[in-house]
Amino acid sequence: MALATTRRLNIENTGIWVLLALTVLFASITIPAFRDPANLANVLRQSSILGLIAIGQTFVIAAGMIDLSVGMIAGMVVVLACWALGLDPSLTILVMGSALVVGAGVGAFNGILVNALRIHPLILTFGMLSVLQGLIFTFTDRSVGLASPLLQLLANGNLVGVPIAALILLGAMVAMHWLLSSTRFGYHLLAAGGNPESARRAGINVERMRFLAFVISGACAAAGGLLLAGRLGTGYPLAGTGLELDAIVAVVLGGTALAGGRASVIRTVAGVVALATMSNVLNLLEVSAFVQMFLKGLIVVAAILVNQPRRELR
Amino acid sequence: MSGETIIRGEFAAGLMSRYAIFAVLVVTYLAAVAVSDAFLQLGYMSNVVRQIAPVGIAAIGVTFVMILGGVDLSIGAVISLTSVICAVQMGGNPDNVAIAITLACAAGLSIGLINGVIIAFSRVSPFILTLGTGMAVLGLTQIYSGGTARGVVSPGFREFFNYRLADSVPVLAIAFLGLAVLGWLIQRHTLFGQRLYLIGSNHRAAALAGIPVAATTIAAYAFSGLFGALAGIALLARSGVSSTLSGQGLEFQVLAAVVLGGTTFEGGRGGVPGTVAGVLVLVIAFNLVNISGLPYHMQLVVMGAIIISASAIYGQINARAGN
Repeated sequence: MALATTRRLNIENTGIWVLLALTVLFASITIPAFRDPANLANVLRQSSILGLIAIGQTFVIAAGMIDLSVGMIAGMVVVLACWALGLDPSLTILVMGSALVVGAGVGAFNGILVNALRIHPLILTFGMLSVLQGLIFTFTDRSVGLASPLLQLLANGNLVGVPIAALILLGAMVAMHWLLSSTRFGYHLLAAGGNPESARRAGINVERMRFLAFVISGACAAAGGLLLAGRLGTGYPLAGTGLELDAIVAVVLGGTALAGGRASVIRTVAGVVALATMSNVLNLLEVSAFVQMFLKGLIVVAAILVNQPRRELR
Repeated sequence: MSGETIIRGEFAAGLMSRYAIFAVLVVTYLAAVAVSDAFLQLGYMSNVVRQIAPVGIAAIGVTFVMILGGVDLSIGAVISLTSVICAVQMGGNPDNVAIAITLACAAGLSIGLINGVIIAFSRVSPFILTLGTGMAVLGLTQIYSGGTARGVVSPGFREFFNYRLADSVPVLAIAFLGLAVLGWLIQRHTLFGQRLYLIGSNHRAAALAGIPVAATTIAAYAFSGLFGALAGIALLARSGVSSTLSGQGLEFQVLAAVVLGGTTFEGGRGGVPGTVAGVLVLVIAFNLVNISGLPYHMQLVVMGAIIISASAIYGQINARAGN
């Protein structure tokens, strides 16, 4: 039994690195276009948007919950930021700050409701997804506004040959990995997710941990939304659709336990880069979007079969 | 004395938990009548039921899965796939209707079986698993259809389902209610139905008591797939066009209706009658949004608010009922 547990933990810790290495190796050997620096930069830029959102999702899942509202938070930020910057492009910094506050605010609202109403987080954030989608479409059903040059530079520009967006993701990854794995807050969050009752008896404020996890998730989703706005250049109301599912897939690929209590930010980002690489490879091979979606579904199924073999472990 | 009061309180709360949705349905309906007396006409109401029939039929199967403590997020993709299969196999020829319906049902059943077998034997999170199979099925649907509306509905197919009995009640509405009665009978009067509740209440205890957990789980997901296929056929009968994406997002409405009806994510409670009431509340609420002149997309806001508040209310009632 102990042996089996150890082996499983090993799979969880190394699986995503093996997958990532294999994907990148396969791509670099068989497809010359993949090795093109411009293409590699593109993969990293694509990763940065989903990466930021998935980092936030990691905290919520670590706390034993799930956040389905992140895609719509990102979508809302895309629309609102572009709309505001279309009116006055000089306000970029202010708009970015406000977007993070709005994202954190929606997260805080999720956190308050989950604690006050004692609803399953899945249902709560699923309801919130619907509410936010309705609000976005009521605000506009076509693309609005224009991302400012500064925001577009952050999303698409390079700094000494490296995409700025990738540097942002790297910074966020290091900071958030430290927060989750090396601080008292991180320990408490993981404890609250692993076994809320024990955590409560050990004096941890579980409700506060859940609240903060949602705040972090909302803010991260807003950050991802800002990069997405810069990349799209305009406020497309459907921009965030489905991102919540991709984020969950990345977290699961990274071996984070859906039941909570075990999580790794770095492995989540590895999951994101692996997903972006696969999608890039399939695009380079000119595989149709339909086949890609089919394959993505199979990857999700395979990933949970390998990574999450036993639900009862919670 | 006080013990008796508590027991009586729990009993009352239990009753509330079981029948709250019907009270909500009555209130919603009365509110609708107050806004427009069209809701008093049999023809209008049965047309409202016809509109929601695809969601309602799918919700019956998903109710089984959720009583068991699972969930089926692939249901929207199953609806899309089966509606496309049905249209393509018909090819505009009335002779093909039977084979088209059979093939669509077989496809839905197979996807349900795959979901069920994986969940029964690996115990992965059904949420993520059905999310994954849903993506794969959606991909398959698009590969099959080429991404556009493909297939032609046979003449007579739509006419049959949209025919109004006694000039007012469409056949499709009756089909939905008939399937609901069938679902209720299965849930209430079969061993399978009783086992769903036992497994949903306490998975481990059910297994230890010798209940065939794996077989029941597989059967529940198979039912969900099959009812998803019937929903896909109903959707085709309602709209007449087999768009690849026609079922997309319907899983949200299905889940909303089931949860609204009192079947919880934790499993072990709820049932088909509550789900039917939940479906009706949802569609009346949608119609109210339209009639009251709110923007169309406010429907989504209303749906989200209903999901959140209904779950909150059930949570409170169930906590009081001592569960």
